[in-house]
Order: sequence, then structure tokens, then C-alpha cells
Amino acid sequence: MKDKFIESFKEALEIDRPITMSDKFRDYDEWNSLGRLSLIANLDDQFDVTIEDEVFQKLITVEDLFNEVAKRAAAKN
Amino acid sequence: MEAHHPFDLRGKVIVVTGASSGIGRQCAISCSRVGAKVILIARNEVRLGETLSLMDHSHHRILPMDLTEAAETEEKLAALKDLGGIHGVIHSAGISTTLPLRNISEDKLSNFFKTNVNASINLTRLLTRPGYAAKEGASVVFITSVMGVVGEAGKTLYSLTKGALVAGAKSLALELAPKKVRVNCVSPGVVVTPMSSSAVYSQDEASLEKIRSYHPLGLGEPEDVANACVFLLSDASRWITGTNLMVDGGYTAR
Repeated sequence: MKDKFIESFKEALEIDRPITMSDKFRDYDEWNSLGRLSLIANLDDQFDVTIEDEVFQKLITVEDLFNEVAKRAAAKN
Repeated sequence: MEAHHPFDLRGKVIVVTGASSGIGRQCAISCSRVGAKVILIARNEVRLGETLSLMDHSHHRILPMDLTEAAETEEKLAALKDLGGIHGVIHSAGISTTLPLRNISEDKLSNFFKTNVNASINLTRLLTRPGYAAKEGASVVFITSVMGVVGEAGKTLYSLTKGALVAGAKSLALELAPKKVRVNCVSPGVVVTPMSSSAVYSQDEASLEKIRSYHPLGLGEPEDVANACVFLLSDASRWITGTNLMVDGGYTAR
């Protein structure tokens, strides 16, 4: 699931290089409003997960985001 | 008997799609206020009933159906044959999204065209057949969008489909003029509805403020769009066809 998540995350932000789970994703040059929209769409399409804005604001690293997605995806199964 | 006022819809049968919420719901209500008999179409029967409860007079009728199912639509619309004629259609059913190009798959593209374009053409075809449109003429109004005329990042799917209707309405207007059927579009800017409140630009105050700033007269209300539709359905607009009326608080004025 982690690999699938990272692939989906990089695809949404159009990042074509390795990333680290401890990266603060808002610091990426590729992070912008369209990237964010693309991420929302990917999480919905590929993981059936929707994260409310107030929760999303508190997620800082790629790891934070992954953990939130994993938690919500698990809750659905 | 009082003189007929060109803006009133008394004696007219008007079909309103997307009548279960937002702009479509308000169009149904506004048409009822000016005397029309309204046929309300949407998928959700319960919400159509809610719209009905907000309307004036009791001669309206709900006709639940999924307009993206062409065969089902044809079958259900048969109930409108020989009603004495349909004088107008407000086609408000449609979907919207904000999605970057990188996410636009073949499936999403097809789904958008199926819902926003194919269903509109199918509906127009079915309702302008002999026995459906009134012999004295009819008016078809597509609810399109400023996004069918101007663009915005992430609105490609929506723009493609609304622009298709704006373009198609002109050819339809020419083709249907001999039947005295007029075809026009009403293109709203951002109107406060369930569709716009669930949109991404409504999720945080900064984005919403940006959207507001695009509308010199502020965001619209469903009534603003419904009133424009009532005009295009009424005899007051009998010489108007093939146009796209911008109802956008000035969004496209700049």
C-alpha cells in the first residue's frame, strides 16, 4: 500500500524523483493548488479516501499523509 | 379577462430538469410563480417532492428519471405526449468538477460528455418531436456556464461540455426555427447552490474570496438565473434564438 501511495502522491504532484517520507510536502516546488486538487482526486479514485480540509491542514509530512490515508482506508474494510 | 402580459407563463407547460436542487429547483419555483404548469425532472423523487412543496399552484407533475439513460428517458417522456404541447424546457441537470489535466482519464471525459452533453441533446430531440413541442412554438433553455466561454485552471472537463452546449445551441436554433422552437443558453457565474458549496473553491475562505472578487456584483442567487430563464421562456423573448445570455454578476465583462 505504501508503494502505491507514494506512486499516486508523486503522480498527483508531477514529481519525477525519489522522495522521503519525512519530507514536508508543502515545501516541494511542485506543491500548488492544482497539485492539491490532483492529490484529492487520486486519493478518492485510488483509495476511496476523502480528507476534510481541517484535518488535512494538520498533516505536515508525506508520512503524516500516508498514515491518515492508511487509517481511513483500513476503516473502510 | 385581463390583457396577456408578455412576461407571464400562464397557460404554458414547462419542463424543468435538475429540479431537485439548486438552480433547477429555483427555476421550477419561479415558473410556478408566473403561472406555468411545470413538469419536474430529476433522479431523486423525494427531493422532487420537496421542490413541489415550495411551488405555487398544484397542477404540476413530477417525473423522476435518469436523463443519462437514453432509453429510460424516451420511455418516461412518453407520458408527456399529447398533453397539449410543451411550451418550454429549462435543462439544468448537469455535473461539475475541478480537476487538473493530469487526472482527466478517458472514463472521466466520457462520463462528463454523457451527462452534460449527450443527455441534453437526447432530451431536446425527444421533446421537439411531433406531439411533444406545442404547435404554436416552444423555447429551450440550456443552463450552461461562464466556463463555456472563458476558462479557469482545472475546469477543462466542465468547460468542454458547457462550451459544447453553447456552440450546439446555435445550430439547434437554426435547425428548429421552422418548428418555431427557440434554443438559447443561460450562462451563470458562480451561484450559491449545493453544487458550488461542495466545489473545492468553497472549501477555504481564501479561495472563496478569490472567486467572489471575480464577480463585480457578488456571487449569484438561484433566483438571478431563474428570472433570466423565465424571460427566455416567455413571449417577451419570441425574437431571441441561438444566444447565450451571461448571467454572471459581471464575471465576463472584463
